[in-house]
Amino acid sequence: MNGPKSLILMLVALIIPSILVSLWLSNAKASLEQAGDTSSEIAVASVAEDEYCTPKLKGILRRVAGACGLLQEGGRGCQPANAKQVAAMSGDDFNALFKPLSHRAKIIQFDSAQVEMDEFGSAAVETAWSDQRGASFFFVVARASADGDQIFNQQLSQKRAEAVLTHLDQKFNDPDLKKQVGLLWLGEEYAQLGEEFCTWSRSREGECSIADINRSAFIAWIDCAI
Amino acid sequence: MSLESGVDLTGEQPTDWSPRGKDPVAPWLWASAAFALLAVVFSGLSTADFIEHLDRQVHSIHCSLLPGASQQIGESGCRTVMMSPYSSLFRTSLWGGLPISLLSMAVFTYLVYRGVDFALARRRKKKLTAFLVVAWLLPLGMSLIYGFISYSKIGAACKLCVGIYLTSTLGFLCALVAQIKQAKGEDVGYDEFSTGSPVPFYLRWFAEGCLFVGVLVGLHLMGAPKVAKATEGCGRLVQKDDPSGIMISLGGTGRKSVALLDPLCPACKGFDERLNASGLRAKLELQAVLFPLDQNCNWMVKTSLHPGACAVSEAILCQPEKANEVLNWAFAEQESLLAEAKADERALRKRITERFPGVQGCLGSAKVKNKLNKSMRWAVANALQVLTPQLFIGDRRVCDEDTDLGLEYTVASMLALPEGGTK
Repeated sequence: MNGPKSLILMLVALIIPSILVSLWLSNAKASLEQAGDTSSEIAVASVAEDEYCTPKLKGILRRVAGACGLLQEGGRGCQPANAKQVAAMSGDDFNALFKPLSHRAKIIQFDSAQVEMDEFGSAAVETAWSDQRGASFFFVVARASADGDQIFNQQLSQKRAEAVLTHLDQKFNDPDLKKQVGLLWLGEEYAQLGEEFCTWSRSREGECSIADINRSAFIAWIDCAI
Repeated sequence: MSLESGVDLTGEQPTDWSPRGKDPVAPWLWASAAFALLAVVFSGLSTADFIEHLDRQVHSIHCSLLPGASQQIGESGCRTVMMSPYSSLFRTSLWGGLPISLLSMAVFTYLVYRGVDFALARRRKKKLTAFLVVAWLLPLGMSLIYGFISYSKIGAACKLCVGIYLTSTLGFLCALVAQIKQAKGEDVGYDEFSTGSPVPFYLRWFAEGCLFVGVLVGLHLMGAPKVAKATEGCGRLVQKDDPSGIMISLGGTGRKSVALLDPLCPACKGFDERLNASGLRAKLELQAVLFPLDQNCNWMVKTSLHPGACAVSEAILCQPEKANEVLNWAFAEQESLLAEAKADERALRKRITERFPGVQGCLGSAKVKNKLNKSMRWAVANALQVLTPQLFIGDRRVCDEDTDLGLEYTVASMLALPEGGTK
């Protein structure tokens, strides 16, 4: 154990870890400089865009929604004639637009000549509303059966659509309601539902005639980024 | 100053160990040096892992007592320990901080040198080896402290650390045996140590130890990568207001901050633990926005990464005044909650209701589902990534790479910035 030997031993013991640490730091520095931005590979949160959202469907929905005042603040709802005009299609084609929504839509049924929802109707509206997921627009398309006066049926369907909106407003007091809900009232003269819609999710069980299914408000979230 | 020019430490006559094979002390000194060398390997591997992570990326880490054994990339005790605030010092002023393993590496390298130097000595003094015993007390004491921290604070053990604890103990015992054998009168003093005090030797050896630590620390401070982006953040909130009342207060006073959380996300749990342990949580007025990565309510994920997270999130929204309690419970019971939800979500909902009776009537209701949906839409409005956790200090987003090792540095740096501005 003499001086020079100790010194050499100490230097060796000191230099080896120093070289290692310097090397590791240098590698980390180089790796940091070379690292790309991996954050761009991660998905960004967005509203839903379902498979049925074809450009054609979206175009029509946008025209309908715009014409009905949904895309602007304040106005909401549109006259049956307007809906027919902006959709520029037959009633059957109009209904066909909503067929991909069979898993999302609910049909709220009303009594003849009535605009009040029963408890099952209210519950169905709440369930449908709370299942928004990534959808951007909530469509309420109210109708009336062909029984009675055409003008009365127009007013009836309008009040049915508004009954849905009023219930949502009272139940959820949601500030986004006015930006997301679009009302259409079609009366009896346009896009009447066929009996095949009786198999969809309805607020009432049991018998279902053409008249029953059209005394209704069709409600659904639309999973399209319109 | 060499030993030959030293002082008499015992008042006894010196013995020249010749032939060397009769030296009863040297084998123990060699053994202590060997254990120190093994500890150098362990702490060196830990240091290499730590430094590798200074590039802010995810890497595999060594997690075996066997040098050269395969590395692990997933969650492990080693990763938990490395990411904990106890793995380094000065974390608020240096990204990642100064790794304890680097200090450990320096100390053990010194003990290798000191042990070999003493073992090679042809003549040895009792109190020379006493220095070695005292020197070994440092790693032994630190091992006891860190073993306690691992058990009581971190709740995870790092195999390499355990290796260091073991070698510290064995190295200390070897040094102690060497000292005992030396003290049995088998050795006597050097002729050259006829007078004076041992203190200058002790001071010199202590200074040598400090030199070892100082050199490695200096190299680290000079060579550690500088991470400017950590303070700048990764994006900003564009709509930080909360018109729908979806933000949940998690307490704290200070800079307004928002955490995007999934209560059943292991990364969120780890993040919460690190933030609490960092001591910086109290400087944040923290609000949570729930973002469960569960397909049941989150349309942005293709599969349920964390099944049951929607239900737990609903429970938090049902009782916002008990948010911390529900969140802590969810973090603590995370594994069992995930497993239960995977098997049967209704069972999980029942369990939540039993644990927090106040959520009855609210859990699963249209209202709370609507609120949870708005919580996720807040992420959409701010174009956030589908990722948890995310932390916003003010409106500035902490980069994902800075939520573990660099958390303290990043949060402290962001807190030092004027609110909403740049330095």
